Amino acid sequence: MRTRAAVLWPDRSQWSIEEITLDPPAAGEVLVRMVATGLCHSDHHLLDGGYPGARRPVIGGHEGAGVVEAVGAGVHAIRPGDHVVLSVPLPPCGACVACLDALPYLCERGALIGQGFQISDGTARHHARGEDLSVFVFLGTFAEHTVVNEASCVVVDPALPLEAACTIACAGVTGWGAVLNTAEVRAGDTVVVVGVGGIGANAVQAARFAGARSIVAVDPVPFKRGVAKRLGADIAVASLGEAATVVTDMTAGRMANTVVMAMAVGDGRCTEAALSLVGKRGRVVVVNVHPADENTATINLRNLQSLEKQVVGCLAGSWDGRKGIRFLADLHRAGRYDLDSIVTRTYDSLAALPSGYRDQAEGTIIRGVLRLS
Amino acid sequence: MTIRTRAALLWEAPGRWEVGEVELDEPKENEVLVQLAASGLCHSDDHFAKGDISVATLPFVGGHEGAGVVEAVGPGVRTLKPGDRIVTAFVPGCGRCRWCASGQQNICDNGALMLTGSQLDGTFRMHVDGRDVGQGGCVSTFSEWSVMPEASCVKIDDDVPFQVACLVGCGVPTGWGSSVRAAGIVPGDVIIIVGTGGVGMNAVQGARYVGATRVIAVDPVPFKRELALKMGATDAFADIEPAAELARSITNGQGADAAVVTVGVVTGQHLAQAFAAIRKGGTVVATAAGNQNETGIPVNLLELTMYQKRIQGAIYGMGSPVREIPLMIDLYKRGDLKLDELVTRTYPLEEINQGYEDMHAGLNIRGVITFN
Repeated sequence: MRTRAAVLWPDRSQWSIEEITLDPPAAGEVLVRMVATGLCHSDHHLLDGGYPGARRPVIGGHEGAGVVEAVGAGVHAIRPGDHVVLSVPLPPCGACVACLDALPYLCERGALIGQGFQISDGTARHHARGEDLSVFVFLGTFAEHTVVNEASCVVVDPALPLEAACTIACAGVTGWGAVLNTAEVRAGDTVVVVGVGGIGANAVQAARFAGARSIVAVDPVPFKRGVAKRLGADIAVASLGEAATVVTDMTAGRMANTVVMAMAVGDGRCTEAALSLVGKRGRVVVVNVHPADENTATINLRNLQSLEKQVVGCLAGSWDGRKGIRFLADLHRAGRYDLDSIVTRTYDSLAALPSGYRDQAEGTIIRGVLRLS
Repeated sequence: MTIRTRAALLWEAPGRWEVGEVELDEPKENEVLVQLAASGLCHSDDHFAKGDISVATLPFVGGHEGAGVVEAVGPGVRTLKPGDRIVTAFVPGCGRCRWCASGQQNICDNGALMLTGSQLDGTFRMHVDGRDVGQGGCVSTFSEWSVMPEASCVKIDDDVPFQVACLVGCGVPTGWGSSVRAAGIVPGDVIIIVGTGGVGMNAVQGARYVGATRVIAVDPVPFKRELALKMGATDAFADIEPAAELARSITNGQGADAAVVTVGVVTGQHLAQAFAAIRKGGTVVATAAGNQNETGIPVNLLELTMYQKRIQGAIYGMGSPVREIPLMIDLYKRGDLKLDELVTRTYPLEEINQGYEDMHAGLNIRGVITFN
């Protein structure tokens, strides 16, 4: 079939919105009519070559939700008409060492993410201009239709509004997972969230939900500080330096249990400032993406050692995205998850991609969403 | 100098509390003299009175859930001074035993003194007609005045009313921790709380606070079910069967992640019903006390093994008193923990037996003795 998608071609730095050819779903695959996709900064990193080894041409987008139109052979748990949210960071195999260690998001299939073809047989379903197209994060949600592996699909209640719920897939699962799984926030903890974008806004909510005593949000943009306070932050400040003063006061110098780094782009020069915000056994969770060639971070190693501080990476919230999506969809249905404060602007079509990312760069949105059909 | 104080004494067990006069020694090394302002009527003291749990020294002045003001300090006391407002912890953590050293102050070896009735040095501060009087948990809060270890006292802020502060000495952290620490509830969990009295109501609050998405309360008393729903329960039933059925229906047949048993007098049957309600790898938390001679939990042993279920006993909610008491006060002040709602009725010391009768009649979440 023919559909439209945002393609990044070799040696280009802009999305090309064009018609592509989409094969029918093969065994174990699902054809999805996309309803909406979130504008995650990770897609934007593609434009400046932020992922060395990522094959081009590639269809961007990995934070999507839609309606199943057809299923391939052997797909029994998903039917045409099902509403689905698409899971990141990959459809896990369930059988490798990582999967058996309950780390399915680190499944060995992740090695194939740069190639970006179907995980079932290593071939492409998406084509344009006579070439095979890769799909970002095995999904390619910057498209009106896509074909994905059945293990990427989470069937959700049709009552869930997909326009907002697409952001659960990445921003929601990552922000909540960073707090619940990577940071292991416990009742009574003090938590600092640095960067109130799509991930940070979710992290603030998660920290409140998990029983953090005090939550400090850090963002230079006043509007984002306001959102953080509405979502549960006790205090919102503009800089890490201000956060140090505030956390020192509120903990009588014991400092925070957790700092979640959720900036647009990570910066190793901030690592010591983050580490100095946590106390003994405190944990800095690095969830933001750093430049691929950044190899240096400033860290006072004496404090790291003697106070047993920890710097921990976080990929997509350290849990199976499918589990995270179900959890947050249930929470939303129970009225305990504020999605509306996170999706602050919705755009009409694929053509609005550049303006969405412009708004993101200018700090006027928390999460933007493209309506696709 | 000896003080004469009024206190509720247990002369025999089973027996009733008798309010009478007790001679109180001055505080010795590392002890303090406290004027009590309020004391909760915890079911554990009733277990002593009923003979469910034997105390080693009679007569015995009960009460272990108290709040008051330090009036004098003995030699060597460094962390308290006269005028400090305190809540009592019934286990004076030594800070040195294997348990304290592994973060489990609640099972400190000093806990043995809960029932022996002496102070830490093995001698007694309360006397009647020349006889030694046992003290509950080293603190005896059913008394206008008491002497207790410095380590039994946790300082609180001036702006917390005594009649709610006393509850954070035992019932509140015991229930809250049963969900949060013993069951290890995490966001998204489904939990059943069996018995929503002065302990279970806080298990409800704890589960809700750490993000359980379904908190299913079970209590035969309608007013306790109604209050449970106000305190954070999402559902409430008169007995466990429909609660278990609901848990299964919302978990694709798996069952609750945990069931906390906080009934008044526990039997093996209660624990077996809770056991049947949890999922594979789930946890039953046994918080309630019962008769000391009761043995046996009638559960299927193959189910225990093959479903990898866990039955977890819990004293003080598996938390450390010196950490939990300030945390509970802090949550209360921030509006994240309801305490005022727990105090159904206050009584003068003379009406202590009425208080326990009201508890048995299902009239109280918590009755509280207030002193003038």
